[in-house]
Amino acid sequence: MNMENLATVALAVLLSPLLGGVVAGLDRKITARLQGRYGPPILQSFYDVFKLIGKERMIVNPWQILCAYVYLVAAMLTVVLLALQSDLLLVFFVLAVGGVFLVIGALAAPSPYSQVGAQRELIQMLTYEPLLILVFVSIYLVTGSYKISEILKFQEPLLIPLALMYIVLGYALTIKLRKSPFDISTSHHAHQEIVKGVLTEYSGPYLAIIEVAHWYETVFILGICALFWHTNPVGALVLVGLTYLAEIVVDNICARLTWRWMLGYVWSTGLLLSFANYTWIYVR
Amino acid sequence: MLDTLIGTCILLPVVSALLCYFVRSARVRGYVVTATGVALVASSLLFYSHGSFSYTAESILGVKLNLIITAADFALLFLIFGIGWSRRNPLIMLLTVLQILPLAYFEFKMVHHVEVIPAFYGDDLSIIMNLIISIVGSLICIFGIPYMAEHEHHLHLKKSRQPRFFFFLMVFLGAMNGLVYANNLLWVYFFWEVTTLCSFMLISHDGNDLAVKNACRALWMNMVGGVAFVSAIILLYRHTGSTESLSLQYLVRHPDSSLAVLFPLALLCLAGFTKAAQVPFQAWLCGAMVAPTPVSALLHSSTMVKAGVYLIVRLAPAYAGTTLSLMVATFGAFTFLTASVLAVNMRNGKKILAYSTIANLGLIVACAGINTPAAIVAAILLIIFHAISKGLLFLCVGTIEHKIGSRDIEDMRGLYNRFPTVARITILGMLTMMIPPFGALMSKWMAIEAASNIPWVVAMLALGSGLTMLFWARWAGILVSGAYLESPDREKSQSSLKMLIETLTHGLYASKGSWQESPAIKVPLLTLASFAVALSLLAPWVYSRLIDPRLALGSKALPFTEGVQGATSDAGSFYVLPILIVSFVGYAWAVIAAIKKGHRVVSAPYLCGEQSPDSGEARFRGPMNAWEQCTAANIYASEFIGEEKITNWINMAAIVILIVLFAGVAQ
Repeated sequence: MNMENLATVALAVLLSPLLGGVVAGLDRKITARLQGRYGPPILQSFYDVFKLIGKERMIVNPWQILCAYVYLVAAMLTVVLLALQSDLLLVFFVLAVGGVFLVIGALAAPSPYSQVGAQRELIQMLTYEPLLILVFVSIYLVTGSYKISEILKFQEPLLIPLALMYIVLGYALTIKLRKSPFDISTSHHAHQEIVKGVLTEYSGPYLAIIEVAHWYETVFILGICALFWHTNPVGALVLVGLTYLAEIVVDNICARLTWRWMLGYVWSTGLLLSFANYTWIYVR
Repeated sequence: MLDTLIGTCILLPVVSALLCYFVRSARVRGYVVTATGVALVASSLLFYSHGSFSYTAESILGVKLNLIITAADFALLFLIFGIGWSRRNPLIMLLTVLQILPLAYFEFKMVHHVEVIPAFYGDDLSIIMNLIISIVGSLICIFGIPYMAEHEHHLHLKKSRQPRFFFFLMVFLGAMNGLVYANNLLWVYFFWEVTTLCSFMLISHDGNDLAVKNACRALWMNMVGGVAFVSAIILLYRHTGSTESLSLQYLVRHPDSSLAVLFPLALLCLAGFTKAAQVPFQAWLCGAMVAPTPVSALLHSSTMVKAGVYLIVRLAPAYAGTTLSLMVATFGAFTFLTASVLAVNMRNGKKILAYSTIANLGLIVACAGINTPAAIVAAILLIIFHAISKGLLFLCVGTIEHKIGSRDIEDMRGLYNRFPTVARITILGMLTMMIPPFGALMSKWMAIEAASNIPWVVAMLALGSGLTMLFWARWAGILVSGAYLESPDREKSQSSLKMLIETLTHGLYASKGSWQESPAIKVPLLTLASFAVALSLLAPWVYSRLIDPRLALGSKALPFTEGVQGATSDAGSFYVLPILIVSFVGYAWAVIAAIKKGHRVVSAPYLCGEQSPDSGEARFRGPMNAWEQCTAANIYASEFIGEEKITNWINMAAIVILIVLFAGVAQ
């Protein structure tokens, strides 16, 4: 590992939470405006996390602590691997580690809310994971590599040959970002949540850890989106901005639905779009 | 040297088997089994250091080997016919006759002198298989010594049936070793049938109706494979008219895509599918769960099912680039997907493991079908890592079953609080199956990369992979579910490093109760667990030392070498040592953070403010101010994927794929 790589890692680890936190702040602000509220300040997410860190440490089962930390480590690793332009599938599997441990942590607490949340989170993972793999495979089919460093050498924006796959990615990301209608395991919106699902038993500093991990994941997701217009930084920025805006709008106009519907709808639509796009790749 | 080694790995287990059977003393039996295990491990290590070889033994004690094998073959088939007769099972009898008659015709009418040179052949694949059979197999047999004693104690038998049990267990190991080293297809067939017979005897060991019924099913399903095997031998011989075509090495080195060769190859693959319990033959392996745990562990991890995938992987170069190969990939991926779906529906821990085994074998078959060098390497790595992790998990579930008297995973909630060590090893086993940087997942990664050019295969692998993650994560989660039990001696402040070491040896937050088990149970569990972790840590090393140079070295001698050098760029993604290190540092950091002592409030699980104030128990204040227990259970989605609901559909779809497979060959 040379100096340049070390610097990349350091930047990825340090800047990602800042970026992720600001995105979360913007998200809350825009959502509030869409709902006719004034909304919190942009930096509110940071204030929240600092406050959470200062709270008393409360747990039901100590495995939760381990799980919270592994979730954070996994999320950080995904961002680092993305920054190091590593293999997309490897990044994907590391991302999955985080999800697995979040679920184990929730299952460790015997509260039924946490248990139900964990089951739902598992189904959410089940829904988006295959789609993400299919998206990465399609990138491979077009560029001939899973390595991000190789993918970046591709001449045209991936959005052109993989337009449909971008929609598939959209489905996967909506689930991963916990946006309606797919915020089944836990929701950002108080009005459709009785208890906080998979996060029910996390509180104080541990909840802060999970929140920060979620910021990392947001950055990772936006990074994957940017990959679809890697030829032009402005294009990438516009694409990412528009995508996130679309996520917020969808989030606000939809209500959460059941996991049965989610699994059936997302898998069928995702597979259909994927095969259409694969055919398109072969025809082209 | 070679004859001694071959003798040790094939004949020694048979001798020990006879000892186990005739010397009816538990103590002697224990020594014999342990000593055989040690000898097997030593011989397999010697094979490994020796490297690839070919060896032809003319005769043993003055009798021609071919003659012995032929005679034993017929004896075996008549024995199986006898079993079919005594069980009044026409299907078994029919399938046996379908093997006896063609085989007799072949041996006495078509050829008179089947001499295949070399008789034994060992390359990287057979040596790795030998290592797995010897190490994992022996550990399981050793685990079986105290396990069976306790098992019989539960059953209150008048006369111990253990001599018979260990007889077949030992013969099984010998037959597997013979199978992976034999080069003559007729010999492979003989060993193949021996494993079929042993599995029947072991599955029916407990002798109750269910055991016998399931054993008969296993027998007839595997006999289907036997019939396919015999037909393949005859067809291959008819095509060339020389015994040369009965040599595995000849087949592999002279790929011939004419129908006359491909059709027998397809039949051999079919035989492999039956033995590897691929859909629609999965029923026999699920039924085999009634057998005592060492049997399931042996059938699932190192022997029996691995014989099926061994044959398919072994023959992979022979059918590379054909439609058959593509269909094998499709078939394997389909098995991977459907078996994973069925596993999600299971509450029975052993059945989850069973379906997971079938799924992983499907993945290996798919890799063989994809047939690029990277895919073949992925297949071999999967065989290794799966054998270790699955062997471990079966032994864990067996131990848990003896402790709690149930296989239902819902009954395993909070197992960590009661049996921390066993639970910890179980969780470790599960993690080695599903998360990076452990080998099983890394191999899956290689498999998906290799499959990328076949869209439907990669789609099925992607869906199956998600399902796999679901059932493992859920099971691992409920094992740790439950109350907070902090041991008092944790109050002392300690250095991080010391705490980390302590956690590794004693377990996270485990109350420091001693682990009371027989060493014959402890040693296999701990050895397999440390293998699972160490081999994964060393995964790049395993790849580059165990497989890569052997592939590169004898590029002319070994069929598994073609193009692997070129493929290093593909498979080279396995060289991710820095990332492995970083992730382990990350996990270690998480562990340290989690066990660090500090002010910490333990609260009761949230129940809308009505929870019981004492921590741990999930109870709430119900009517009449009484404390009500609340329970939660997993989603099994039985209304969609209930086993009895979808199995028939899956079998039908699998049969359709098999028909297309044969049609594709004929095309």
